[in-house]
Amino acid sequence: MTTTTAIRPAPGLARIRESLPERFAPYAYIAPFFVLFGIFGLFPMAFTFVISLYEWDPLGDKTFVGLHNFNTLLTDPRFWNATENTVSIWFLSTVPQLLIALGLAHLLHAARLRFANFFRMSLLVPYITSTAATAIVFLQLFDAHYGLITWFLTLFDGNPINWLAGRLTSQIVIAVMIIWRWSGFTTLLYLAGLQSIPRELYDAASVDGAGRWRQLTNITVPSLRPVIIFTIITSTIGGLQTFTEPLLLDPGSTMCGPARQCQTLTLYLYEQGFTDFKFGYGAAIGVALFVIIIVLAAINFALSTRLRGAR
Amino acid sequence: MRSSTRVAAVAVMTLTVAGALAGCSTKGSSESSSKDFSFWSFTGINAKADVQAYEKAHPDVHIKLTEVGGSTDTANELTTALAGGKVPDLVLIQGDDLPKFVQHPGNFVDLRTLGASNIKNNYAPAIWDQSVAADGQVLGVPTDVGGMALSYRKDLFAAAGLPTDPDQVSALMSNWQDFLKVAQQYTQKTHKPFIDNAETSIFYQAVNQGSEKYYNSARQLDYSNAQVKAAFDLALQGVQDGIAANLTTFTTAWSAGLQKGAFAVVATPSWMLGSVRTNAPNTSGKWGVAKIPNGSGNWGGSYLAIPKRAANPQAAWNYIKNSQSPQSQLNHFLTSGALPTTIANYSNPQLLGKTDPFFSDAPIGKIFTESIVGLKSFYIGPDSAQIGTDYLSAIQNVENKKIPASQAWSSAQSAIKRDVGQ
Repeated sequence: MTTTTAIRPAPGLARIRESLPERFAPYAYIAPFFVLFGIFGLFPMAFTFVISLYEWDPLGDKTFVGLHNFNTLLTDPRFWNATENTVSIWFLSTVPQLLIALGLAHLLHAARLRFANFFRMSLLVPYITSTAATAIVFLQLFDAHYGLITWFLTLFDGNPINWLAGRLTSQIVIAVMIIWRWSGFTTLLYLAGLQSIPRELYDAASVDGAGRWRQLTNITVPSLRPVIIFTIITSTIGGLQTFTEPLLLDPGSTMCGPARQCQTLTLYLYEQGFTDFKFGYGAAIGVALFVIIIVLAAINFALSTRLRGAR
Repeated sequence: MRSSTRVAAVAVMTLTVAGALAGCSTKGSSESSSKDFSFWSFTGINAKADVQAYEKAHPDVHIKLTEVGGSTDTANELTTALAGGKVPDLVLIQGDDLPKFVQHPGNFVDLRTLGASNIKNNYAPAIWDQSVAADGQVLGVPTDVGGMALSYRKDLFAAAGLPTDPDQVSALMSNWQDFLKVAQQYTQKTHKPFIDNAETSIFYQAVNQGSEKYYNSARQLDYSNAQVKAAFDLALQGVQDGIAANLTTFTTAWSAGLQKGAFAVVATPSWMLGSVRTNAPNTSGKWGVAKIPNGSGNWGGSYLAIPKRAANPQAAWNYIKNSQSPQSQLNHFLTSGALPTTIANYSNPQLLGKTDPFFSDAPIGKIFTESIVGLKSFYIGPDSAQIGTDYLSAIQNVENKKIPASQAWSSAQSAIKRDVGQ
């Protein structure tokens, strides 16, 4: 610890006073963002809580019902169905995605890889592709009657799979879309993390006789822990809000399948709020989603501080 | 340094506040002249052509046309506008979206105050009545209808040993029981599906043919009545007989099925003929058009309405009167194929004589108008769309083998109860 000479004001001098405009200036510089955020971000969010206390048809009347919407929500099988779907889609898309990204990052980290930059750039192409275009193409690939992937699988099994009809199969299609989109981005994050691990650790490990697998589990993964935690958090946030893929998987409908097989929470919110025009109930679903996200964020936070503390 | 910081701070604050205020919309700003008006219509129906024709005939009128989007998008925009924004003077509303607006007639001008009672008798009563509210207020004037017919592939029928002449086909399948019998015959002979799907081509059409749909004549919910159950059971029978290809209408798989001849028959309103043409151009001349079983039906159709806060209702009404007169509707039919709603045209030789070479010169004008003439007037309420979706979903679930056919009706009932809040 270096010592610094503390600067003390000369005795008798009052604290240096800044003039009013100078004290005011920092707030003025950040004001534009906060004013706009307040009007277009914070106010609608807070107003959603208010709307959820009403039964609100935008064309007609608005009646105050208190917590009635939440009572309905707790006993609504569709809400729990949507919650289950959201969690299972999240799980199906996150775990393979992170594993694939870890593997790809490892491959790209190899010392003598030719055209390394080309690979790294092409990994980002799925990330910048429009979600809607992706969904339309994947929908055709996975079509039950004429899809290319369906046809390919019949060469092994025989019966064409009706992807949209089944619960697991429709969620797999959505998970595949999400994995395709995000693996590249996650790979680059891991790659950056890998490049910051000092080579000496690996050299020391190989001198000690550790094989490639031991090096991976005992050096690479622990060193990448902060990045892995970060990617888990971002994929949780994104996964809980999956909306575009389920919406486009069943075109023209906001139910994602006649039995709501792949309807996620945000899609259910949209269906109730903007297709059925039950603003109050839709807002209640939004509040429930808010609570779920807070709970998961708290768990994430607790786990990551515990992990960080353990290092 | 200090004063320039202060100036910068004040400037930034002013810009922010001004920017935020500019974002707020102004309500009901007046048009430049009371003869001009703003019009919201759908994309894809060439609304511009109609507007330009009107402006040409009335040079002192300027119409601000906005093609908002598809019919659902336009209805959603209208809902938002009615809830507190700037409303157009004239708006096109599709028949499926109309009921929820009819439920709250206070949002629209009562067209009787502008003279709707004078033109009421020009229009088919069953169609006109859809836009009449419980207290008798008239919300909209019908612009066109779909009608209903059965389009069939003549070559596939011939290969299965079925007649191909339209009159013979209509006679062969004059009711739904005969329809199912023929379907079974076809599927047994060729091992291929007869129709595209059971929910749209059977249930959706059959349920539109009764004297009641999901509401009774007192406008109360009655969604499990005998007519609905009969239509539902017909569709389930079709699924169990294996005659449906399980291709949901308007999906890409359905379009592919049209091209490949995956099914021989599809229930088509007049505007869907265009879909068949665009999706399967290589099947030109292979189709015929026959009557739908039981003869009557309708799918689609739109209405022109004037929102309450419109700045120029009179100018909008003049447009409605002019563009929806029998002669104008006939001209519109001859150019675009949209079926008129004016009764006088149903006996017009130009309309009745219209044929379509893509469909082997079938007299489509005659067939579709006959399907409308037989239509009964039933009430469509605000929950009708949701109830219909629940029934369709139940049938689809049986097709997808998610629930057994015996549970389909009860699963539909519990879904509907939840949706209508019972």
